[in-house]
Amino acid sequence: MAKKGSYDFYLILATTVVLALISLICVWAMFYFKMAGIHLLAAAGKAAWQERMNTIISPFIVALLVLLGICVPKRLLPVRWLNRFAVVLLIAALAVGWWFGVRVGLLVILGAALLLQSAVLVLALAGQDFLSFVKKGYWVRVGSSLVHLGLVLFVLDLYFHRMPTLHLLLFWVTTATTVSGMICCFYADSIARLLGREDRESAEQSGGRKDKG
Amino acid sequence: MTDLIDLHLFQELGRPLMLALLVLGGLLFLVGLVNIFRPEPWRQKEAWWGLVLINLLFFLGFALIAWLHWRINRELPLELSDQLAAWLNRQLAAANQSAAYGMPLYDPASPPRYVIPLWIENEKYYFWFMGYAFLALLAWRRLALHRFRGGLLLLLTCQLGLLFFLADPFAEPLPRFFSEISPWFSDQLAPMARIGLFMKLYPRMIFYYNAHYMWLHPPLLFMAYGCITITFLTSLFMLVRRQPEIERLGYDAAKFGYLLLTFGMLLGYPWALQAWGPNWWWDPKICSSIMMWAIYSTYLHTRLYANKVPMWYFSSFLGILCFAAMIFTFLASFLFPGEHTFQ
Repeated sequence: MAKKGSYDFYLILATTVVLALISLICVWAMFYFKMAGIHLLAAAGKAAWQERMNTIISPFIVALLVLLGICVPKRLLPVRWLNRFAVVLLIAALAVGWWFGVRVGLLVILGAALLLQSAVLVLALAGQDFLSFVKKGYWVRVGSSLVHLGLVLFVLDLYFHRMPTLHLLLFWVTTATTVSGMICCFYADSIARLLGREDRESAEQSGGRKDKG
Repeated sequence: MTDLIDLHLFQELGRPLMLALLVLGGLLFLVGLVNIFRPEPWRQKEAWWGLVLINLLFFLGFALIAWLHWRINRELPLELSDQLAAWLNRQLAAANQSAAYGMPLYDPASPPRYVIPLWIENEKYYFWFMGYAFLALLAWRRLALHRFRGGLLLLLTCQLGLLFFLADPFAEPLPRFFSEISPWFSDQLAPMARIGLFMKLYPRMIFYYNAHYMWLHPPLLFMAYGCITITFLTSLFMLVRRQPEIERLGYDAAKFGYLLLTFGMLLGYPWALQAWGPNWWWDPKICSSIMMWAIYSTYLHTRLYANKVPMWYFSSFLGILCFAAMIFTFLASFLFPGEHTFQ
């Protein structure tokens, strides 16, 4: 369990708070949808409703993006360097956002998260021990890397939602990555047995540095 | 409805089957109740065979449903005359040019037929509860704790009661589907009215009844619901009696359910783009599903990264909350308007 006051603890807390707020907005949206009779509106009215809700939710998606940008490199870097990385990433994103617009600034964070998570996946596949994971099994680490790569891809996919072909292609890559990651993560022992390669440690024997997942 | 296809045999076979399920459910309810309150196991062997029999009956009924759908496929094609087909194909070709997802042209040699998945209308409850019955069988074999087994039986009998009294798929088979298509088979339909009706039925056939996603999106979610129900039961028991084996079973069910739920929800996305275009985002059901998924994610993360004894109460609370979110999400289809509404 992440220690109270640690870097991971605050990352977990921040992510939980953002997810809880997104959930609350979703529940509010359900009731508003019914009370205001959005379903009875013409297409333009529905589009306006979607645009309005997108505007309301976007700060929280941005917050998730920033958390993702900070969260991903913690597999690779010690906490001291992680803090520096987070500050540099935020400054770079803000600077790019200032000059080229918020969308480009977000793309910088997403691009950095994608590159780093891809590197984590390659290292996990190569069986590198220095990566920081809660679980120690090979397939658990590969699975966790895939799930997190899927999350980054999913947000990137939302970013490109106005480009239908790329959007759908990215969507299927996201789905394949996330689902295969979950299978590797949840059924690590069975996969290891099936492939004749026992994990060095069972998925249930947690140890080492704790993280947010 | 019965004019289109002879449903007599289907209903005649379904009636005793549902009655047998209800009677068996009633007996298992008694066994479950006694086991919950007794310190010693009672009639465990008989209850096991009852559970096996319920699963067999469910499977038989499911085969019967499959047979009805096969008959619909063979006996109810949407046929048009050659002249109308030629005119229609010109309209379809023109419509396809401006559509993101076009519809196949009409082939007179092979008129479009319904390939209806086995979980629409009341059948979805049948499939959902059948999935739970199977999962309960697996859970029973894994855990030899009579009180927990009693809980499994009580939940199953609640579902059987709902199925028999509120959602019997054999009493009135596919009422909405048959009311939709019955005008098509009327002899008094004028040619242009027939074309108009075809243009109403055909998109619904392509994007709903015959959609490939329909074979994956709903059943994955219903199986996930079954897993959430098992996790709910284990969470309830964990509040009273913290036993590692119960906790482990709940976690395994949650992992499997989460995998199915995530995959199922993701598969709904490209389907919604095809069927509804972009105007479905922020639909109430989508909102509640995202909320349920977020709670489920929190439960799994808590169990995965905070698996200490003092946290068991909290993760159990999340397991129960997850079940409540599932019920709320399901009821959202009845209570809230939108694309998923059953109103």
